[in-house]
Amino acid sequence: MQNMFNKAIWEPPFIQPHKIGEINKFGRRAAKDNICDTVFGVPVKLLVEKYGSPVFVTSEKQIRENVRRVKRAFERRYGNVIHGWSYKTNYTSAICNIMHQEGSWAEVVSEFEYEKARLLGVPGERIIFNGPNKSKAILERAIAEGARIHVDHLEELHTIESIAIARGSVVPVTLRLNFDTGYTEPWSRFGFNIESGQAYLAAKLVALSPHLKLTGLHSHIGTFILEPRAYAEQVRIMCKFMRELEGNENIQIESLDIGGGFPSNNALKGVYLPPEQSIPAISDYVNAVTSALMEGTQYRRESNRPLPQLIFESGRAMVDDAQMLLTSVVGTKRLADGRRACVLDGGANLLFTSYWYNHLIKLTSEIDGPVEETVLYGPLCMNIDVVRHSIHLPPLKHGDILAVHCVGAYNNTQWMQFIEYRPNVVLVHEDGESSIIRKAEDLSVMTQQDCLPSHLQIPFLDIGRNGRINKIASVGQIEAVS
Amino acid sequence: MEDATVSSPCRPERLQKLAVSDTGFVFDPQTGQSFTLNSTGLMSLNLLKKGTTVENTAACLAREYGVSVEVASSSLEAFLVQFGRYL
Ligand SMILES: Cc1ncc(COP(=O)(O)O)c(C=O)c1O
Repeated sequence: MQNMFNKAIWEPPFIQPHKIGEINKFGRRAAKDNICDTVFGVPVKLLVEKYGSPVFVTSEKQIRENVRRVKRAFERRYGNVIHGWSYKTNYTSAICNIMHQEGSWAEVVSEFEYEKARLLGVPGERIIFNGPNKSKAILERAIAEGARIHVDHLEELHTIESIAIARGSVVPVTLRLNFDTGYTEPWSRFGFNIESGQAYLAAKLVALSPHLKLTGLHSHIGTFILEPRAYAEQVRIMCKFMRELEGNENIQIESLDIGGGFPSNNALKGVYLPPEQSIPAISDYVNAVTSALMEGTQYRRESNRPLPQLIFESGRAMVDDAQMLLTSVVGTKRLADGRRACVLDGGANLLFTSYWYNHLIKLTSEIDGPVEETVLYGPLCMNIDVVRHSIHLPPLKHGDILAVHCVGAYNNTQWMQFIEYRPNVVLVHEDGESSIIRKAEDLSVMTQQDCLPSHLQIPFLDIGRNGRINKIASVGQIEAVS
Repeated sequence: MEDATVSSPCRPERLQKLAVSDTGFVFDPQTGQSFTLNSTGLMSLNLLKKGTTVENTAACLAREYGVSVEVASSSLEAFLVQFGRYL
């Protein structure tokens, strides 16, 4: 490479030792399997030419396959199963509608998510309404529209009861529970705790109210749970609680909702083994849940009563591997400690998940040169904006494109709007065509919510909007000089 | 050897044993270890192998890459310390 003075570009001298057994990773050229020149069947070059960089690319086929595979596995073993698509995982409208077309209901946790599901045309009866912050107004709407209300705390229960009284109807409710499975950190801030007796008390309050009816139990034991037995324990505890309630009160539970939390094929930071080795198969989770469920509902079968409906709210396992981020190199440098570094046009602003995953990142074309430990930075003026702290890559140059894998969960919802426009989100349709499913932001999107009071309409008092010089008497009194 | 500041692992005799390709691949037959050099590292090693002093090597780097002699010397020193750890 030559600079403008026709000299080779300076880089401090550096030596990279090759590691035994990893010789292929450190040769002159990156391994072939580390190159991905098409994304979901579409050439990377074409995608970037058409939609810009960075760009999120989503596969309709992969989403549909993921949902079908998990649903089929549950249905084969239990039958009466509903998937609630956890909107917060990725609420891009097209993605939600793919899920709904596959039969998944909407699992929403806020007024915004509820309204979005309704806007998309999801009927209230197919909405599961979780979350700790539901206003009275949205509860009134959700109840009128027949949504399933999952109650988080006593105040919410009282609000629902007051709405039921005003409507003169009986409102069915589900209680969100929390408890210790012994496998995961208990999420005790959500719902009612079983061990302390809160959950039983809440159930009793519902049973005593002529305006409420307890029809469901829900819990969500955490996310990216690597131990299927945690679910067996969850279901066992929920069934025991259900049986206890049904034995003591006039209650019949119609649905058990086990929440989400199945892992995706991503590499969690701090987990030594690669995902192929550390992440159990989805069928292990399905077996754990359904076996515990069959055991826990034996008492129902014995008395010839119907089994409860099973609801699961899997998010990341359904969509993570169905989306990639294509991002381009905008600059390269050698850090003071000798490591190579690259600045990318997409960073932690778009990849919130890079805080907890070491995302699989591949080259999209062959690049010659010694493979070295490299740090990948994003475009933010923030030290925390690191996409990968350490990855072995050949020398990248301006314009090279990288494919960040498994980014479909929680990025299109938790991305942050900080100094950059958010880019296009593209869907590769099942027939291989592609289209934008969320347009890149521009200045009008970014400023549309801003309001300028009349005295702040112009930035400099001595220059008018038309560019002419103003004569300023005092702030607030401006006269244009013609 | 003219230059006493060259650290001992980087003696020309030791460096001479290294097989260096013109693309920067280095093989050390004494340890079986292999390395990759960047372009400035390659230029430095080739000069040092020929017995060029550290001072003159830095001057060549400075001329070739259009940086000051101070920048080239301090980088070369750091490089030799790093190299010395592997030999
Ligand atoms: C109540 C509830 N259900 C479902 C999910 C989806 O979880 P996951 O993406 O881990 O499957 C979450 C995520 O936090 C949740 O809080």
